[in-house]
Amino acid sequence: MPDNQILLALLPEHLLLLGMLTLIVLSLGRRGVVTAVALGVGSVAVLGAVAAAFVLAAQGTNASLFDGQLLVTPGVYVTKGLLLALSIPVLLMSRTDFEGAEFPLLLLSSLYGLSLLPSAQSALVLFLGLEMLSVPVYALIVLAMRRAESAEAALKYLVLSGTASAVFLMGIALLYGTTGSMQVSAVAQAMTMADPVATTALVLVVAALFLKGAVVPFHGWAPDTYEGASVPVTAYMATLSKAAVLVVGLQLFQGVTVQGPLVQLLAVLPLVSIVWGNVAAMRQDSLRRMIAYSSIAHAGYLFYAFLGDPATRSDAVVFYLVTYAAGNLLAFAALPPHANDVSRDALGSLDGLFRHRPIAAGLMAVAMFSLAGLPPFPGFTAKFLIFRTVVAAGYPVYAVLGLVGSFLGLFFYLRVVQRLFMRPVAEGMLPAAGQPMLPGDGLSRTAGVLCGVATLLLTLVPGWILSRV
Amino acid sequence: MSDALLLNLVLWLPVAGLLPLALVRGNATTSRLVTTGVMLVQFLMALLLYGQFDGGDLALQAASNVPWIAEWGVAYHIGLDGLNILLVLLTAFLGPLVVIGAWRSIEKDVALFHAMLLLLQFAMMGALVAQDLFLFYVFWEAMLIPMFFMIGIWGGARRSYATIKFVLYTAFGSILMLGAIIYLVWALQQQGGVPSFAFADLLQVALPEQVQIWLLAAFVLSFAIKVPMVPLHTWLPDAHVEAPTPGSVILAGVLLKMGTYGFIKLGFPLFPDATRLFTPWLMTLSVVSIVYGACLALVQQDIKKIIAYSSISHLGYVMLGLLSLDLAGIQGAIVQMVSHGIVAAGLFLLVGVIYERCHTRELSAYGGLARQMPVYALFFVLFMLASVGLPTTSGFTGEFLVLLGAFSAAWPQHLDGNSLPLWLAIAAVSGVVLGALYMLRFALTFLFGAPKAPHQPLADVTPREVGVLGVLVIAVFLLGLFPDGALRKTELAARRYQAQVMTSRVPADAR
Repeated sequence: MPDNQILLALLPEHLLLLGMLTLIVLSLGRRGVVTAVALGVGSVAVLGAVAAAFVLAAQGTNASLFDGQLLVTPGVYVTKGLLLALSIPVLLMSRTDFEGAEFPLLLLSSLYGLSLLPSAQSALVLFLGLEMLSVPVYALIVLAMRRAESAEAALKYLVLSGTASAVFLMGIALLYGTTGSMQVSAVAQAMTMADPVATTALVLVVAALFLKGAVVPFHGWAPDTYEGASVPVTAYMATLSKAAVLVVGLQLFQGVTVQGPLVQLLAVLPLVSIVWGNVAAMRQDSLRRMIAYSSIAHAGYLFYAFLGDPATRSDAVVFYLVTYAAGNLLAFAALPPHANDVSRDALGSLDGLFRHRPIAAGLMAVAMFSLAGLPPFPGFTAKFLIFRTVVAAGYPVYAVLGLVGSFLGLFFYLRVVQRLFMRPVAEGMLPAAGQPMLPGDGLSRTAGVLCGVATLLLTLVPGWILSRV
Repeated sequence: MSDALLLNLVLWLPVAGLLPLALVRGNATTSRLVTTGVMLVQFLMALLLYGQFDGGDLALQAASNVPWIAEWGVAYHIGLDGLNILLVLLTAFLGPLVVIGAWRSIEKDVALFHAMLLLLQFAMMGALVAQDLFLFYVFWEAMLIPMFFMIGIWGGARRSYATIKFVLYTAFGSILMLGAIIYLVWALQQQGGVPSFAFADLLQVALPEQVQIWLLAAFVLSFAIKVPMVPLHTWLPDAHVEAPTPGSVILAGVLLKMGTYGFIKLGFPLFPDATRLFTPWLMTLSVVSIVYGACLALVQQDIKKIIAYSSISHLGYVMLGLLSLDLAGIQGAIVQMVSHGIVAAGLFLLVGVIYERCHTRELSAYGGLARQMPVYALFFVLFMLASVGLPTTSGFTGEFLVLLGAFSAAWPQHLDGNSLPLWLAIAAVSGVVLGALYMLRFALTFLFGAPKAPHQPLADVTPREVGVLGVLVIAVFLLGLFPDGALRKTELAARRYQAQVMTSRVPADAR
């Protein structure tokens, strides 16, 4: 395998690396200058990586790198490109909470790990990618330090995520022990073995994914962590970190029809997750906590798809991830900035948002409807795909139960829309006349509009993604 | 201009109307004018389509079929047939009347309100003309969102509660229907190999009876909530009472018809074997809706609630007609849908007129309005008579045909020893008597007796209101005196519906 092939095939990753190196050098400069330039450098690096991924996909690049450790196909590039593109709104909205080059730097290094995942063909690369994605996030959570809870949140995430990694390692060690292979195909092999060790290995791997993806009963860390982190970091964790876990799952289970005891595991826990996430979200009065519980429910829908046929599964999951991430990012980008991080986040501060920020309120409502899965918004199409996969795999009862569970979620999303449009303006939220815009407000608005456009495109031409992933 | 293009314009015009609405930036009067203009043009185009519609042709007319999500066989497939043509016309007809009728009743966020009206018009029109199940479902659910805003922002005191209740109620039925749709399409794919959501393809799927029962149950739940049929009706009075006048008019005028349209277009023809099994139960529920709705209307103190419960009663007739499977009954049901749309719209507008002047809906607060508002009283009596079903009004055509159909279908069954349909038909007739009773009680307290009203002096209806109500009255009499035109356009489609429900679609090896 020639070196220049590696250079070309991993171009998106190289561009991210280049961005990181530039940011490290840049961070030596004066803070005031650095902040503005760093965001620019970070965005350009990510945009470059996205563009590279799509160009490589369009050229039909197919390559197996490093002795089959990495496999790139046009479909992999599209997935990479979509996931990386979703980080642009996160970068844009970071200006409100972060200064300096640290945020873009850490984000890019996390994205580097994310970018490896869709192409990983061995359990070890998956593990590496997942760790590279998570470690910068621990730092990101404490970095903003808007309040004391941030440290607690970071520690919780560190411990839980570390436990998950240990469980994952144990799982792949057992897999290696029974099948003698570190390639992802070992999962397919283990699935057909009657060996209890093989089953244990699979259960451990799935449990690790559930822990990282916050599926009930492994969800306890998510609400506290999301609430303690700053808004852009929460947005990143709720969308791209979650996406990474699902991509790992897709890679491990590619071509594998789930059978045996794993069916119950992959049906019942996600179902409980859907119901519990949606019920618990009704009681929250902080937006980030609400999104945390809602993301627990969404993890349930996503893992549901693993019951389905492997051929349609990855379409469904990737499409769901993109629409779900677009919806979540839209909600966070539309959140008006506020000097006080706690009151910014309180659901009460959204009261009457339509009166002073009609566009933000409209975007937030779109986000809520899409997350709730109401047609014509793309969240509906995504849910439709998931449940179609489940029905086609021969589990209509699980599909119906999941649908009823998703109905429970409608209530709290609608309550947010009611707050936005049907209540008088919350006290202290009306901007005083002549008050300058908070830093980053304009960038957040841009992020919101970008996500809004993405949501519109997903509504009108969902087939574009489906035919390419 | 080709028919297909015209139908696309009818569908998309309200969306295009959002742009000028956004450009006027909240100017109230301009918003109203723009919306009226858009709705009027839409109505004229729908009228043209109605004129060109050929009742002698069973094929889909003015159809467009463009692949949308080709991977799963989803298409943007719209068209007109005998079942939807009258409802399309009704929806387009009520559009401008709602805007003009509500000229004074919405004073807050006028531009947003009219944007919601246009979106609602788009979604309703889309659900009516869709010929692809995915597209239908998208429009069907999309109707909820503008209505959610309409009740929630411009509604009465308990609007928060009413609007959430409305959405949750209707969405619950829909979510189970979604499960059934997914299963149905999967079953089609198993049999035909190609995924498709086209109604025409889905009507060919052979399904075992047990499966049909489950799927129809899901569809029935969704449609019966929308109709609404007793005992799933409890969202309707709340939604009607809290909704602003234009919201009530659209709710009663068009939205409720979506449930019965769903039954005739999809629910019953898709699962004919299960339908025949369900018929005694559904027929009983229809008659219970007729009688119970009428009884409740008889004792209400809130004038909007009287009309809300009367809607439940009147839509019971539609269901009875559809289930009778007699040609007269089916055609009567279609006419009754349109007739109720016009009459209920008129009654809710009349309530809106008096509410704008007095700001109360308590029946006991009013009396002797005939003396102070003679023109208003005249309109009120006309709509009341149409609601009661007096001959020469549209209400008579619909209810008479439904009852005729119910009896002529019930008699042979009675001779075969099954008397339930006959008893149900007899009970349904009592609904007509009860209907007369509650409307007369309403009119008696409202229009006659000692004059009283919470607000004095009362101005009679303005020329704008006379215009709107006058047009509705003309429509009532047109449909009452000359129903032939409408009946001819729908006859073939009604016959096809009849044949579809009569034919078994259980796979040959499972019979």
